[in-house]
Amino acid sequence: MKQEKVIQLQNISKSFDGEKILNNINLYIRDKEFITLLGPSGCGKTTMLRLIAGFETPDEGTILFEGKPINDVPPYQRSVNTVFQKYALFPHLNVFENIAFGLRLKKLPEEQIRKQVKDMLALVNLKGFERRNVERLSGGQQQRVAIARALINHPKVLLLDEPLAALDLKLRKDMQVELKNMQKRTGITFIYVTHDQEEALSMSDTVMVIAEGEIQQIGTPTDIYNEPVNAFVADFIGESNILDGVMTADYKATFSGHTFDCVDSGFEKNEKVDIVVRPEDVDVVPCERGMLVGDVTGVTFKGVHYEIIVDIRGFKWMIQSTDYVAPGDHIGLSIDPDAIHVMKKSRFSNMFGDYSSFSDELEKLSDLSEEENE
Amino acid sequence: MKTINKIYTVLILFMLYAPILVLMLFSFNSTSNTGVFTGFSFYWYRELFRSAAAFAALKNTLVLAISSAVLSTLIGTMAAIGLRKMRNKYVKGLITSVTNIPMMNPDIVTGISMMLLFVFVGTMLGQQDKLNFWTLLIAHTTFNIPYVYLNVSPKFQQMDKHLPEAALDLGCTPLQAFFKVELPCIFSGIVTGFIIAFTMSLDDFVISYFCSGSDFQTLPILIYSMTKKEVTPDIYALSTLMIVAILTLLILSNLSGSKEERAKIRALRKKRAAARKEAKA
Repeated sequence: MKQEKVIQLQNISKSFDGEKILNNINLYIRDKEFITLLGPSGCGKTTMLRLIAGFETPDEGTILFEGKPINDVPPYQRSVNTVFQKYALFPHLNVFENIAFGLRLKKLPEEQIRKQVKDMLALVNLKGFERRNVERLSGGQQQRVAIARALINHPKVLLLDEPLAALDLKLRKDMQVELKNMQKRTGITFIYVTHDQEEALSMSDTVMVIAEGEIQQIGTPTDIYNEPVNAFVADFIGESNILDGVMTADYKATFSGHTFDCVDSGFEKNEKVDIVVRPEDVDVVPCERGMLVGDVTGVTFKGVHYEIIVDIRGFKWMIQSTDYVAPGDHIGLSIDPDAIHVMKKSRFSNMFGDYSSFSDELEKLSDLSEEENE
Repeated sequence: MKTINKIYTVLILFMLYAPILVLMLFSFNSTSNTGVFTGFSFYWYRELFRSAAAFAALKNTLVLAISSAVLSTLIGTMAAIGLRKMRNKYVKGLITSVTNIPMMNPDIVTGISMMLLFVFVGTMLGQQDKLNFWTLLIAHTTFNIPYVYLNVSPKFQQMDKHLPEAALDLGCTPLQAFFKVELPCIFSGIVTGFIIAFTMSLDDFVISYFCSGSDFQTLPILIYSMTKKEVTPDIYALSTLMIVAILTLLILSNLSGSKEERAKIRALRKKRAAARKEAKA
């Protein structure tokens, strides 16, 4: 399927106050695609969005829109529209006027504006909200107004900057589905920025993982999840046990003191590698049948499964299992060849993947500080 | 305890407003007796309206108040706009502090220093009347600017900083974005700033006293010069009118402000109630 490249970034770099936010970014975005820029706070994903919208200009490099450079085109002349993180609705205008804002600037006849706004309100499920004050809407409703206000201009590309971050969990899930449907219905290219990996996996056609101002991996959600290129991607997307290993031969990986069969080949003999094993791919078996043996140090009930932390030779594994094991139990683990993913060593190696300091509370704390940083 | 609270509050209010109430009362006195209320009449108001000097002064005061308020609103608002876009924190802080000096400075110092400057510059330019309407206008505009700035710049801080970007994004030129989005958001601050500047100019005596010439007198200066001879109740009448005028303006500005506030509070309550409902369900 050949698709037109609607946006291209070529050798883009951008610094703020001497700090490099984006470092030589090269990418293209295909028409009618739902692409997600995924990365932790401060990785440069929002800056990338603002460059495309025209609120920032790159220090180096070229931004192409449908093949033409748009570095010097001001935001009001670009056919992209943005949905801002905190909506940025105009507080002095009601819902109707907020949505009609772009059309009024184009000086369309009143009748046409009325009709289009009505259609838009129907699209975002806000029929009858025309005269409402935007400040008195709930978060989810404000979100819809913001989307309608952007979509009514029929942009080629819609930029969404963490649009669901301020909504509660249930609403967020509903909006994810709705956004995806809207994108399919309208055929507009969505560029979606988020730090929520689950959101990225469930909505996107293509996911772009960004860290430290550089693109780590571009691919479909399944590629990114199943075949992460380095320890950063493996850790950031889902839960992962990341171990040091050695490829003793093609299809043979040695880690944790055991040589496993795997499905990867093409490495040099005895090349040091990073091994990723997803917690759900590990089976708990009796000790004597286990490829690895370890002691259970912690068990958390998660509803669908138990999250079990197992100490194997000092490395804490995380395992998800529907069967209960008690802390202190001596258990065996079995891993299928296709559950083992081998990655080349990168500068992210040994930074992630051990669950020795793992706790839910800690994760929440770091989430909070992330929000404050933004 | 509650009754004591109430009594205390009433007492304080009484102490605050008793002088004004007495003044208003005696402006309706039928004789010039300052000790005894001899009967209700509009005599002193009629007397006041017959005095050409008082009217000229009233006209001068209004012209000065309006023009200085307009000027300071323009300059103060522009200052708030400019300083908001400034990135350097230290320069910004410095300029903000300097802007506030005319407000902190004792009036007498501002007055004398301005007079000195006007006379100095006037002499250099070889002018006859060194102090006139223009010097007064400059003086009033100067001390009014911080009041406007202090009312407008918080409105910018309250405004979502992405609003101007959203306007650009939807097709506004930067100028359109300002007039269609930013100006409406800060407008209530501009109005409040204007009203405060107007009343400040209206009741200023000290600075005006130093910066006005003989051919342009404002009401406060006129009243002061009248009291030098003998205090007659037509001054009470004049003061009463000024109080009523300023009171009306204040009530108006409070009403426009509180309407917004009330709407916001209502919206907040609604949201909280909805959240509580959701939490229960």
